Amino acid sequence: MLRPERMRRLLIAAPKGEIDAIVRELYRHNVYHIEDFVPESSSEALSIGYPLPEASDAASALTKVRAIENACGIDPENVDVKTKLPASKVREMIRTDLPVIQKEAEDLVGSRSRLETRQKEHEQRARELEPFAAVPLDLEFYRGYARFTVFTGHITRDVDIDVPNEKYFSDKVAGNMVVVVVQNEHREQVERTLLNAGFQAIPVPEETGAPADCMKAHLEEARRIEDEIAAINGKIAGIRERHTDFLVACDELLTADVERAQAPLRFATTEETFITEGWVPEDRADRIQDALGRVTGGRIYIEELDIDDDTVVPVEYENPSFASPTQMLMDIYARPRYSELDPTLMVAIVFPIFFGLILGDVGYGAVLLALSLGLRKFLKGEGGRALLKVLSYASISSIVFGVLYSEAFGFALPWDAMIFSRHLNIGGAAGGHGPQVVELMIVALWIGILHITLGRILGIINARSLYHGKHATKAVISHAGWLGIMWGILLIIWSFFPIPMMPDLTGLPIIAMGFGVAAVIGVVLLVAGIIGIAQENPLEVVELPTIISHVLSYARLTAVGLSSVAIAMVVNYISIGMMIEPQLEAITLTGVIFIVLGILVFLLGHVLNTALGLLGGGLHSIRLHYVEFFTKFYKGGGKKYNPFGMKSKFTEE
Amino acid sequence: MVDVGTTLEMVQASQAGMSALGAGLAVGLTGIGAGIAEMAIGSAAVGATAENRDVFGLVLLLTVIPETIVIFGLVVALLLLF
Repeated sequence: MLRPERMRRLLIAAPKGEIDAIVRELYRHNVYHIEDFVPESSSEALSIGYPLPEASDAASALTKVRAIENACGIDPENVDVKTKLPASKVREMIRTDLPVIQKEAEDLVGSRSRLETRQKEHEQRARELEPFAAVPLDLEFYRGYARFTVFTGHITRDVDIDVPNEKYFSDKVAGNMVVVVVQNEHREQVERTLLNAGFQAIPVPEETGAPADCMKAHLEEARRIEDEIAAINGKIAGIRERHTDFLVACDELLTADVERAQAPLRFATTEETFITEGWVPEDRADRIQDALGRVTGGRIYIEELDIDDDTVVPVEYENPSFASPTQMLMDIYARPRYSELDPTLMVAIVFPIFFGLILGDVGYGAVLLALSLGLRKFLKGEGGRALLKVLSYASISSIVFGVLYSEAFGFALPWDAMIFSRHLNIGGAAGGHGPQVVELMIVALWIGILHITLGRILGIINARSLYHGKHATKAVISHAGWLGIMWGILLIIWSFFPIPMMPDLTGLPIIAMGFGVAAVIGVVLLVAGIIGIAQENPLEVVELPTIISHVLSYARLTAVGLSSVAIAMVVNYISIGMMIEPQLEAITLTGVIFIVLGILVFLLGHVLNTALGLLGGGLHSIRLHYVEFFTKFYKGGGKKYNPFGMKSKFTEE
Repeated sequence: MVDVGTTLEMVQASQAGMSALGAGLAVGLTGIGAGIAEMAIGSAAVGATAENRDVFGLVLLLTVIPETIVIFGLVVALLLLF
């Protein structure tokens, strides 16, 4: 449970004739993690294998299926499994139905893109015509003159032209519009005048009739095409409706075919045989060996190899089902190494407790629980699901702590806080004995001290399994040294200052120089600890202040929680105490507006505080694990166990 | 400094005010400090996420590490106030 799953390393050798049967069997069992064969230049006897002959067919069919899925917007990740289709039927349909669907989809997508191009063209034409619509002149009158020149374009301002001309200016369109007709001999002179006024020529569209009518015709055409596109989109949606089940089944089946056919690329081969190395979980190793022996009729050689280096072993978690969503939080940091402790279970238990300590509020907890259950419909990916599960456990813990703290949306519940009160005195509303901040802080520090002590003890256990001989002893002593320093400092503090809810050692008999028994023991532990750390690595002594900062860091369990309580209470005070209640005494029209505003402030404030609470509670709890807890013992960096095979979702044999 | 008119109540009130000021400064200044520290991390984090979406969880975590500073400020403030 606290270790990754035990693995066995297998070497499989068989004649090439059996490769198909063996690959098929390995794929079906979905437990064999293939160690890719890397050819070395020195040994020329072994070379990488060739893919099985059906590889290219399967790959091209898969490309087609993926293209259709793309066109129809189908994502196999987000498809619900309705019924599993039998593989033989899917194969039959790939031969008969797939080309038809593909043709249909291709035609639809093709005509859609053609229509889109035409729509764009018409819109472009309409845009070009827009400035001409401001000039009351049909388009055919702009061209075809032998002795006249026509200038059309945008201009910054109206100009006077001092040669005989005909001019029309409009400032009704963006950038203004000017049309000037002059005799050819004045052309250059007029052009200069126009350019001085910031003239920008625009070409006359090759059309006839009134520009406004032309423009309307183009826009209408564009609208009509848009309707056609919508119709085609409807048809594509129809394909999605009818064929999603089949397409995702095809995708799955063909992906499996391609993976199987390409497996030999990861094997080493000689002329007549092939060899592959890989990993299987210990409890399934015998079964797969028997199965392989059976399908090949004994024409196979399997040997179990020793595990000499733990960094190459693929790592698979082995946790009770309630802890498995937390594995996602572990993967964000790093997967454990094969021979070290897997702290997932501890994180799964402690993380919700931390979250509840920070965001202990029945109201927020209920909102987050509803959110995590409601979002399950929309988030279908594996990571998202795991995150929501973790969130739902955390919000349940938040509700439990909310009952203990007697809090709901910053209001007090009808009973006194059962553990420590966090009811601040905001707006003079606090009942009972006010917030017990110091007590809460000391509880947080106690949690920190114990959590870090646990981390160091796990560090000692890890050091014994990760290192060997002298190195292991040194690492163990160093971890013990860290523990000694922390508890030594604590003993010294306790022997001088009485702190509530912590042992009071000030009364013990004094031995020397005002140091009591506890203080002397503390100093001895401190010095021994420093020596213990220095014997492994003297440089680590500079890290000593982290002992204090890491323990103090757990004060955030109280501090972040109090800040969220404070925000909730301030929101309540502003919205209810200041805006709603005074107006309720005598209702007037402005009073109603104030009440509505107050409700808005209330809702907005609590939405904001829920988001902050989720972020604060979640991030700070996980951070305490990553930074304060894991740094004491956790190495990480294990390879992900990725078995060759697939859990079939949409098809069955 | 000692004014003849100063009573014990006034001294106490002034002390309460000073500790409230101190608490405010503790949270405010550490908040600025945490903000400055998170500034560089945050921009690097956004860049890294744009390159590779998978690191989002990790960089989110790196971004909140300097929050320890403001937590210490908050602890000091709470100790001053309660």
